[in-house]
Amino acid sequence: MSDAANQITLTIDGVEVSVAAGTTLLQAAEHAGVVVPHYCYHPGIPSRPAQCRMCLVEIEGQPKLQPSCVFPAGEGMVVHTTSEAAEKARQSVIEFLLLNHPLDCPICDAAGQCMLQDYAFETGQLRSRYAEAKMVLGRDRVADDILYFGDRCIVCTRCVRFMEDIAGDNALVVAQRGHKAYIDTFPGRDLDHAFRGNIVDVCPVGALVHEDFVFKARAWDMDAAPGICPGCSTGCNIEINVKENQVVRTKPRLNTEVNSYWMCDHGRRVLVMANRGVRAEAPMIRRAGELEPASWNEALAWVAEELGGSGGVAVASASVSNEALFYTRTLLNHLGIEGGTFEVEEGAEVTLAGFPKLKLRAERAPNATGAALHGYRRSEGLPEVVDGASLVVLGDALAEAPADYGANAGFFLYIGSHLPPAAGNATAILPAAAVPEMEGTFVNYEGRVQRFHRALRSPGVARPAWMFLSRLLEHLGEGTGVREIGDAFGVMAAGTEAMQGLTWGGLGLRGELLSEAGHPAVAAE
Amino acid sequence: MTRPLHPAAASAQPFQVADLRPTERLFEDPEGQDRLEKVVSRYPEKRAALLPMLGYAQERNGWISDENMAEIAGALELTPAYVRSVATFYTMYNRHPVGRHLIQVCTCISCHLNEGQEVFEQFLSETGTRAGEISEDGRYTVIEAECLGACGFATAVQVNDRYFENVTPDKVPAILDELD
Repeated sequence: MSDAANQITLTIDGVEVSVAAGTTLLQAAEHAGVVVPHYCYHPGIPSRPAQCRMCLVEIEGQPKLQPSCVFPAGEGMVVHTTSEAAEKARQSVIEFLLLNHPLDCPICDAAGQCMLQDYAFETGQLRSRYAEAKMVLGRDRVADDILYFGDRCIVCTRCVRFMEDIAGDNALVVAQRGHKAYIDTFPGRDLDHAFRGNIVDVCPVGALVHEDFVFKARAWDMDAAPGICPGCSTGCNIEINVKENQVVRTKPRLNTEVNSYWMCDHGRRVLVMANRGVRAEAPMIRRAGELEPASWNEALAWVAEELGGSGGVAVASASVSNEALFYTRTLLNHLGIEGGTFEVEEGAEVTLAGFPKLKLRAERAPNATGAALHGYRRSEGLPEVVDGASLVVLGDALAEAPADYGANAGFFLYIGSHLPPAAGNATAILPAAAVPEMEGTFVNYEGRVQRFHRALRSPGVARPAWMFLSRLLEHLGEGTGVREIGDAFGVMAAGTEAMQGLTWGGLGLRGELLSEAGHPAVAAE
Repeated sequence: MTRPLHPAAASAQPFQVADLRPTERLFEDPEGQDRLEKVVSRYPEKRAALLPMLGYAQERNGWISDENMAEIAGALELTPAYVRSVATFYTMYNRHPVGRHLIQVCTCISCHLNEGQEVFEQFLSETGTRAGEISEDGRYTVIEAECLGACGFATAVQVNDRYFENVTPDKVPAILDELD
């Protein structure tokens, strides 16, 4: 980029920009702060058919308008994206696209996030000149969870090209031609690719819709927060869409180092399914043999008082944040409990052919690297609890445990967001916020520390585990309680060799790699 | 019972349903295998043989069934969906069974000015069919066609591989008589 010889200077809408040779006009326009309207162009899909004709711009000295998504920038070019000719061409494209469009925005899932709606509003005409009957295609199914609304489709072929270029499975095609063209699969052979859900994200209009999202939420009714997918150890960057404190959808968020523009269908379901389950809402302590609710102050003081320092076992989940793992580790050290184990569910690995770094990885937990880094040992099954010994459980490690697990423990401390049957044996339950309800970090398969943000409110008085554990440790005479996630991260980074030098602010939205010492291969030894 | 329409007549039919009538398998006899081998050997890549092989399917069965498309896809190492996209792109591939004589009447501008529409309607009434249907005796299917390239001899009518030129409505019965 810095090589001045390969730099091209041109003027776009009166703004002079300098870009690398080979840059297209559309990308160069972004440098000038101009977004050229487009449909078929998608930055993540390599093929550029230039077929939607939406991005036509006027270049001085060129007799005809040119598609800016493929036209390379040239030295000294003077480009107009909003000249009369360009505006007129765009208006015509919109008019053609709307000829057979049903204008069913009031019931369309894309309304509010629709490029056809946006551009029609921006450059289109107020009234249609089309008096004939509209062609009706109806609704079809292209996969067992994806619907196709043929009438809304503008045949930009982004979905077709995603399947061909990125997924490597040419199972979605344009059938028919001209005004009759629509997107279809071969009869009886619907899409079954593990990354097929991305065709919904690339669709610029409401033609492709996930069946488990259809008619569920309007774009403007949803809140969005950046998160990290908890589905596997890849740690795809995601956007969590929330309505009324329920996750209604997760979409990929661009991170060229991890997942590019994509994510898998397994990941899309994890957080939506996690809306269900029995949640821990208040601290519970066992007095006179019965678990009863208590206030945080009462519960923490009681636990600090009762918790013995006589050794025992610990189980953690690989789906909780680094901060929770770190503070639990400090607690275990205080109690004289060695090690601690975690178990990771395994599944089949699927690679995305067009972006091979992105896989649905066999390890179906987001933070196994983090758990190993904080001194927990990977194991299969739960550790044996010796009669009368202490047991500390962090996260959803007991979901599959027998109902009597931990009943023989001397002191059973359960720190988690959900209440599986075995949690009923606990001496004390400290309700933790689930991952989408708090801020924190995960470490992915390659040692990238990534931040996730808060998308939901916790039920009851559940709090992030690092927050109440730091206070519990303060009761036990270790350090002081922290209230801010940045401080918790700072304490952790200072106390963890591989995280030296990492700062909460420095992680940003891209994440940072661990130092050499924390590389998963080293940490696993 | 509604009979399936020819695609050219079925413009408003949503997501054409698959026609499940059986067709002969293409590559299970020496004739089909020979043809496949011969055509594939002409091109640097297998995909290029797609159009001729679709043509072969139509030559053999009169139309191209989904079953045949899947067979061709297997033989040419393509996805069935891709074969379908190509087969539906070209209007001259029949996606539904047609009568023994496929009568295509040009109604584009030159023919339209020379009673093309009337010729078309005359064919329909003489054969007792609606556009795209197969007649009761299985002999005829009548459809409108885009320009047949015989504007100097309007109205042009193509029956299978044979052209009839300067057709007027009164000549229609004679043409039908000529066909077996």
